[in-house]
Amino acid sequence: MKLTDIINEIENNHTGTTNTSGRRDILKTWGAKIAAAAVPFAGITLASKKSEAKTTDILAEAIYLALSITKMQIAFYTQATGFTNLILPPMDGSFKEILKEKKEQEAFWIYYLNATSNPLPAPETYDFNAKGNIPKTFTDLGICLQVAQALEDAGVRIYLTAVNEFWSNQFFRKSAVNMGATNARHAAHVRLRRRNMGVDMMPWVPGTQANSIYGEVVKAYQEDDNIYQWKNNMVGINGFDISFENATEAFDEPVQRLIAAKFMSGFIVTTP
Amino acid sequence: MKEALKQDNEMNSNGSLSRRKFLNYAGAIAGAGVLIASCKKKTDDPAAEDGALDIGSNDTGLLNLAYLFKQMKAAFYTKVVKTPYPGMTDTEMGFYVAMRNHEIAHRELFKNYLGTAGVPSLENDFSSIDFGSKSSVMAKAQFFEETSTSAMCDICRLAINADNLNVLAKMTMVDARHSAIANDFIYLGSFSYKADDNGMQVALDPQNALEVIRTFFKRKLAGTYLPKY
Repeated sequence: MKLTDIINEIENNHTGTTNTSGRRDILKTWGAKIAAAAVPFAGITLASKKSEAKTTDILAEAIYLALSITKMQIAFYTQATGFTNLILPPMDGSFKEILKEKKEQEAFWIYYLNATSNPLPAPETYDFNAKGNIPKTFTDLGICLQVAQALEDAGVRIYLTAVNEFWSNQFFRKSAVNMGATNARHAAHVRLRRRNMGVDMMPWVPGTQANSIYGEVVKAYQEDDNIYQWKNNMVGINGFDISFENATEAFDEPVQRLIAAKFMSGFIVTTP
Repeated sequence: MKEALKQDNEMNSNGSLSRRKFLNYAGAIAGAGVLIASCKKKTDDPAAEDGALDIGSNDTGLLNLAYLFKQMKAAFYTKVVKTPYPGMTDTEMGFYVAMRNHEIAHRELFKNYLGTAGVPSLENDFSSIDFGSKSSVMAKAQFFEETSTSAMCDICRLAINADNLNVLAKMTMVDARHSAIANDFIYLGSFSYKADDNGMQVALDPQNALEVIRTFFKRKLAGTYLPKY
């Protein structure tokens, strides 16, 4: 069973993030489903041990969440940097650096899944043409960077969700924060590259982002227009000239698991 | 806290971490939170350390540290925008204005949230910065953003309250975006040159973070009771 196969089930059980107990149930359900679908990479003995491991642990689930976007990003940049005529020097150096850091993050999480006898997530098959909806992902640099931007911005949001889920564990929490900061750097750089190609945009995400793009990538920006922080309306806070764009740019927002799953499912091949 | 540190070191140095320890870790940290609270000696004592302003303990201290970074950066970008260096491009000005507004938003949020527990608005000492020099301004923007991002990472690590963590982490990601751009201003492609071998931002502990920024404030600052690990 793969990620895309369980989205409907999450949706059916979905009761909204304001309901803590409901959310926890969703997380448990998702974690259990992922575990059931997991294919251990190691030998039979190891696989046998892993199959006995409990998988409803919220910490392991947070690792799976972080890994899901990191593995997708790795697959994307591996393909993108593999085309000799797509990302040319010197820009290719930046994307190879991003790929390297994503792989380091993946290795870190896999190390701790193994160390804690949790199963590794099942490998996915990715389709960055989004089932034909984005046909030029790897033939048009502008399109390629737009997809990269969505993957990066979504990645920052997903890592923020993981940070909150790691709250009880200082070690994993700080790991997710520190990786998230690196991912935010990647996102800013991709956005700067797009800007340098003439796209009217900045390295941070305005709440209006969803209005300026469409298709599969817009799903990365759902519910990213929050203007309230610690119950303060950030627009014009304390009389300062803080616009809606400023107020939303100033905070990257976590993303609900359901929205994250829907965004990622657009780039995952569903096995019949 | 010592138990948490011990287990943390164990995870850093020993690959054979058991699942039991993995699960127990959360409990140890929760206990550490109680311990931190019980170690609280005093908060916001303006008379601490030879007239220095002590920024407090626990989450209050951490939030005040973040608030100081925001005061400093908001003031810095405000001055950069008011007195642009010769030859500042429209693009550069646009970035500085946006970053100024983000920092003001963060600063004002801390001001409201901390209330009377917050440090006052403090005057900065930017005498080491030549605002008429592009290289001086860009170098300082790079330094401020890199330091701020690193400090915010550890502030997130040490925060006790989940709501505090949530908002602090959201700000940290934006600081990282600022930092990437400040780096790319100087050399395109240097957006994450300080990431470690795990693809992580290198963090800066609160004591050292305060040490770094205290030179940019006219008032003496102390972080005697800031959380440590």
